[in-house]
Amino acid sequence: MSLNILVGLGGMVSLGHAAYLGVAAYTDAWLVTNAGVDTLSAAFLAIAVTTAMAALFGLLALRAAGLGFVMITLALAQILWGLGYRWADLTGGDNGIRLASRPVPFGIDLASPTHFYYFALVICSLAFVCLWRLAYSPFGASLRGARDQPRRMRMLGHHVWMVRWIAFIMAGFWGSIAGLLFIYYNQFIHPHSLSLQQSAEALLMVILGGANTFLGPIVGALIITLVKNVASSYVDRWNSLLGLIFVVVVLFMPQGIVPGLKFRWTQFTRRGRKVFVAAPAPPSP
Amino acid sequence: MPLAALEISGLNKRFGGVPATRDASLCVMAGERRLIIGPNGAGKTTLFNLVTGDLSPDSGSVRLFGQEILNLPTRRRVHLGLARTYQILTLFATETFAQNVVLALLGLRAARWNPWSSLAANRALHRTACEMLLQVGLGDSADRIVAQASYGDRRRLELAMALAQNPRVLLLDEPLAGLSQEERQIVRRLLDGIPRGVTIVMIEHDMDTALAFAERISVLHHGEVIVEGTRAEVVANPRTKEVYLGE
Repeated sequence: MSLNILVGLGGMVSLGHAAYLGVAAYTDAWLVTNAGVDTLSAAFLAIAVTTAMAALFGLLALRAAGLGFVMITLALAQILWGLGYRWADLTGGDNGIRLASRPVPFGIDLASPTHFYYFALVICSLAFVCLWRLAYSPFGASLRGARDQPRRMRMLGHHVWMVRWIAFIMAGFWGSIAGLLFIYYNQFIHPHSLSLQQSAEALLMVILGGANTFLGPIVGALIITLVKNVASSYVDRWNSLLGLIFVVVVLFMPQGIVPGLKFRWTQFTRRGRKVFVAAPAPPSP
Repeated sequence: MPLAALEISGLNKRFGGVPATRDASLCVMAGERRLIIGPNGAGKTTLFNLVTGDLSPDSGSVRLFGQEILNLPTRRRVHLGLARTYQILTLFATETFAQNVVLALLGLRAARWNPWSSLAANRALHRTACEMLLQVGLGDSADRIVAQASYGDRRRLELAMALAQNPRVLLLDEPLAGLSQEERQIVRRLLDGIPRGVTIVMIEHDMDTALAFAERISVLHHGEVIVEGTRAEVVANPRTKEVYLGE
């Protein structure tokens, strides 16, 4: 969902979104394990560090558009991935960092699966509401405008670069929230979480479900996670299954599943109405 | 002495080796209606792009009410009161007419940074947008999607968006192109109705409308302003004939 701010609303395809999740998770884990910072401060610091990093990355990536933008986000994320592996003093290298236990924020023990579930649900709902408001806000409208007609937006007095940069930072912020949920859930962070594969997977979730729709990324995430976790326990070649799903979606719903289904649905209902009412077409003026 | 609204002097722009604008100079007084004509490829639209900041010139100066604007980004020039319409329509095709105008209105308002409030709930903004549409004769089109509208309606939407910005200097790039005779009449009346507080510079090929509308005319040829004057002066000038009819 965080990535959808960029891809859907902003039309900026990023191949480095794992960076934010990874950095937030690493920062939090390092602070708690090695620096002995308490849970709440560590969480805030992790969010702050990640968001600041997004601001810096935005400055670099927004110098380019289109493919250049993709490549810069990819390069930046790969640098972090390299650091994750090589800077073993800080990150534990291939060993990663392990969190001794799930934290107990506000007296809620997240070690219990039920508690964790509701904790994650609350956070996700919060994110959902914020992003929902964003999509229908003036800023969301500016962001969509900057995606479709940047030149015209400038001529209307909009600060296109600033709009994109703020969107980039917002995406980083929500990425860091996801990173915190990740480290609380797994209690473990490994350079793999910073890898290109993770970024690509996030992007695929958005595209599969349908960018620029609200439910799109959620549907995409649901399908990919289900195939990964459930189907993989029945069939060995779950990767092929995922590939097959992609092919079908690309062939029949190039906009993604949610817009695709919406389109089919309106087609279906329209056809239904024609059969029952058979209203004559209004004369064209 | 009346104030110059737009003062272009010694403006140069080359694309590769090809000069698109050559030492172009022109001065438009506040409240004036100026027409820019010239054959295809004379550099008329390039001149507009240089003024708005879509392109940056190699040398020269552009002043808006005495203030040098060449070093400002486009959006700052717009906040100073510059607005334009495009020859090739650049609208938000999947949005409604009203939404297009709302985006134009937002551009000059601080509310455009708000990521939380609901844009649709801002009735005042929506109402102003509808008023702007009414002004260009699109009062009943507010909820139509741009992609489904006719070319003439889109042209008028372009105009509504530029007017919504409440500009001091308005650049119109072929506002009549592709319109039916009937639509031309509407746009013509509309242009006549724009108050004198707005200075208008127009590129147009429809000579009947354009000549009736403009007070002064500049003829552009190979990126150069070769003739400038009142309608009678320009028509009488032999160089105008040369450019338009060949030698």
